[in-house]
Amino acid sequence: MSTDDESFHPLGDEWEDELETMLDDTEYDSDLGMEMAQDAMRVTKGELSEAEFHEKHHEAVMEEFGEDERPTKEAYEAAQEEAKGTASRMLDAFDGDGGETRRETMKKMGVGAAAVGMGAFSSTRDGPMESLSAEGGHSETTEHSDTQWGMTIDLERCDGCLTCMTACTQENDLDAGVNWMYVMAWEDELHEGHEEGTDTGVYSSDFNMGSDFNMLVRPCQHCTDAPCEKVCPTTARHTRDKDGLVLTDYDVCIGCRYCQVACPYGVNYFQWDEPHTDYEDIPKAKDRDVDSPDEITHAQYEHGERWVDSRAPRGVMSKCTMCPSMQDGQQGDEKVGTSACETACPPNAIQFGNVKDEKSDPYQHREHPSKSRAVIRLSSEHTDSSGIPSPETIDGTLSSDDDIESALEKFENLDKETLSIMKAVELVSDRTEPGDEENNSILRKEQEVVAAVDAFEQYVDLETDAAITQLQLGDGSERQARFRIQQYTGKPNSFKLLEDVGTNPNVTYLGEQPGPEAEQVEGPTKYEDVGLVDKRQDLLDEETVGGIDGVSL
Amino acid sequence: MSTKEPSEADILRPINTLTKKYFLVYGIAAIGLLAFIVAWGYQLQKGLVVTGLGDWGSGGGSTWGLYIGAFIWWVGVAHGGIILSAAVRLLGMDRYMPIARLAEMTTIGGLSAAGFYIIVHMGRPDRMVTSIIGHYHITVNNSPLVWDVTVITAYFVLSATYLGLTLRYDVNRLRDDLPDMFEPIYKIMTIGYTKREDEVIQRMVWWLAAAVIIMAPLLLHGGVIPWLFALLPAMPAWTGAIQGPMFLSIALMSAISGVIIISYGFRRAYDWDHIITDDIFRGLLLWLGFFTLLFLWFQLQAVFNGIFLGPLDKAHAAEAKIAHPLYRIAIGLIFASLVYIFAQGIRPALFSKKRALVVSCAVLMGTLTEKVLFVVEGFMDPHFNIYANTPGSYFPSAIEWLSLVGTTALVVLLFLNLSKLVPVVELHAIEHLRGEHEHSEEATEPEVEA
Ligand code: SF4
Ligand code: SF4
Repeated sequence: MSTDDESFHPLGDEWEDELETMLDDTEYDSDLGMEMAQDAMRVTKGELSEAEFHEKHHEAVMEEFGEDERPTKEAYEAAQEEAKGTASRMLDAFDGDGGETRRETMKKMGVGAAAVGMGAFSSTRDGPMESLSAEGGHSETTEHSDTQWGMTIDLERCDGCLTCMTACTQENDLDAGVNWMYVMAWEDELHEGHEEGTDTGVYSSDFNMGSDFNMLVRPCQHCTDAPCEKVCPTTARHTRDKDGLVLTDYDVCIGCRYCQVACPYGVNYFQWDEPHTDYEDIPKAKDRDVDSPDEITHAQYEHGERWVDSRAPRGVMSKCTMCPSMQDGQQGDEKVGTSACETACPPNAIQFGNVKDEKSDPYQHREHPSKSRAVIRLSSEHTDSSGIPSPETIDGTLSSDDDIESALEKFENLDKETLSIMKAVELVSDRTEPGDEENNSILRKEQEVVAAVDAFEQYVDLETDAAITQLQLGDGSERQARFRIQQYTGKPNSFKLLEDVGTNPNVTYLGEQPGPEAEQVEGPTKYEDVGLVDKRQDLLDEETVGGIDGVSL
Repeated sequence: MSTKEPSEADILRPINTLTKKYFLVYGIAAIGLLAFIVAWGYQLQKGLVVTGLGDWGSGGGSTWGLYIGAFIWWVGVAHGGIILSAAVRLLGMDRYMPIARLAEMTTIGGLSAAGFYIIVHMGRPDRMVTSIIGHYHITVNNSPLVWDVTVITAYFVLSATYLGLTLRYDVNRLRDDLPDMFEPIYKIMTIGYTKREDEVIQRMVWWLAAAVIIMAPLLLHGGVIPWLFALLPAMPAWTGAIQGPMFLSIALMSAISGVIIISYGFRRAYDWDHIITDDIFRGLLLWLGFFTLLFLWFQLQAVFNGIFLGPLDKAHAAEAKIAHPLYRIAIGLIFASLVYIFAQGIRPALFSKKRALVVSCAVLMGTLTEKVLFVVEGFMDPHFNIYANTPGSYFPSAIEWLSLVGTTALVVLLFLNLSKLVPVVELHAIEHLRGEHEHSEEATEPEVEA
């Protein structure tokens, strides 16, 4: 138990004095900083509750910085966090609008806290370490951003065409065999695979449910509690505070490969030799409107830039980045909130976006899989239903004496089933506005469906018993509508990969989960056929000095 | 015991003689080290692609291999060495005093080799200082690799201090018989030496030894080093609480074997039959047997845990392990060694130093093989075992094999150099053998029963 006149620091008074001198150099009240660091230490030891910490320092912080966004006491007491998460969050409570207060508070507490062994504080005094320690990246730091890029991937829409893999390879100039995005077919006892002699195996519907291929699409999961980051001896592998992307700083990585060892998903690819694309050639590869490769390879941080994107240089680790140069707007505003693989995927199986935003595609698709599937399908050009008529078209086409049959005849692409699903979507929709955030296409399309149905109903009443029956919507209740949608799109399971390992992945899957004994099998498209290499070891072995073919430990 | 009286001249002999054989061994070792340095230069130039390593997962390779296996093996030798020497000092096992310094030097050699491996293994060794030290205050909270580097550095400092302190006594007393050529070094070593410090140093060394013994299971090879692997849920072949004791037993086996081989070499080269006596070899062999038994017991625990109703991932890893021919050979070698050790314990006539040498070599081969396999096994049967290319393939490249030659040569050179500079057998040991030593009457070494 430390009392006020005792040194709080294990190294004793002298060290503490030194810290105090360091604090004096910063522009704010050093006593406050020291006292807060001491109390933070006590919180981590459990001698002080977080609520008490805030109670105690609220006024002083207000006085010093003029703001204190303190969460409620209840919220704090509810959260029982480990020491470091606690410390980081406690600081956050003082966060002002632009994060200024947080930085200043950190500046103050940082010196003391770094010394008491709380990594999350670290030193934020001006210097080369500043950016690194502030973004120094440990899992808990993402908690306070309201952006977390991630994906919801519909495995039953994936037809194994490998387009996402080639798109990723091109976008990032990856060497052969460096498959940041990896798509595989698999089977296990409960999920039989494709049998020789049958056709392509891809069912003719837009859903792969009837296909005999079970697919798995495997990017990096950008885990919230990423083991790869935890083990990294250099902080090269880090989580970007502002959006939760797990990235590798190619300028810091020493190539120890511990991240590859610790990641349970096997998504890391080391750059064993000189990459095949020269750095200078990175922007030229495509029609990108940038002046230098740096704009594609360097991502934006609170404190400047770090080289984290595109293929890695020799001797360091690489993996799927979820395209930070797009998220930062370096490739144009229209690409914010998208990824190369998402854009490329023909059946729209990949929904990329902010998984914390209720209106985002991945969120909607995860929470309302059947409805979202229906919406995606209704408005997808890829499908044979090829879009829904706009309200204007409907206004110009229908007249009030139409009934369902006659109305449908007036539209080339509209059949009874499509209308039925549109009405069902309208019935279950809670009409949430999509907002103007990036990548809210599912809600936007849902609105289009609802608007079309509304326009349609100006002319034809779809709520009469007869109409409901005709549209196979049961009793016309929301429940029956949901059931109708499920008949149409299926009701997929959702899961996260290896949830038991505790990584908190940010990719959610819809579809069948591979069991523990699942084995990869040959998929509908061969890797070689689209110019990809599956077994990188074959290429690496060619360069091995004095290796013996076919012999393995 | 031999009838010859051990003398100062005996322990000074390596310093004051220069034989053809010495040059020969020195030359061979230098060539070995040089060969590896050239090969490493090539690796630096081309990248790690020259090794047999690869990406586990869709790529079908092994992320770590011989470099890391040999790294933990050398760390084991080093840690075992210092534990051995600490035990001699702490428990007053005066019988082993003549080899205590050899064990300490083994530690320095082992740690040097291990440190070398860390650098050789990395993709960007040039960033070692900036990237690791620069972020140390953050990473030390999380990364087992940083813990490793920390304890290895700490133990290097500890062992060097330990060795340095005990050398002051000897160098000061034997100064007149030491070559003038190294005078500056001796001056630095004995800076500020007075006879009065002997007692203080004795006490300091005792405390250092106590620290080593206490921390060995907690922080050294029984803790931090296995945690590099045992904490990761991704690789069932590595996980489990048994890895701590397992690593510690391997460390002690390897170190004892190493010390037997080195002692054998010195005894032969300098006619030290009366200093490193048969008795020491017999004793060391029994200790080796004891730790080998522990090792086999831990292996049994680890494997049986997997194959009886293990969770699937663990079961696959354990099945693959016992099915591996090299694993069987390694365990077979170690088991055969154990059988011999116990047999010679019961029938002393079976003992010979040559046999002790053979057994030591067998155990070292066995532990090295086990270590490398252990590392590779992780990548062959991971928890997420869906990839068609996993288990992949890995076979060390010529450069990786050469690293074993290089690091062994490094350690040999270290011994050859040190033996020309300072006595490798303590003066205390000679005094003790002559019965002059103040503590000799209280020699309380517990006899090891077979
Ligand atoms: S999947 Fe998770 S653990 Fe693996 S590299 Fe990505 S963030 Fe790290
Ligand atoms: S390879 Fe690089 S990113 Fe991965 S753990 Fe090592 S230093 Fe960190």
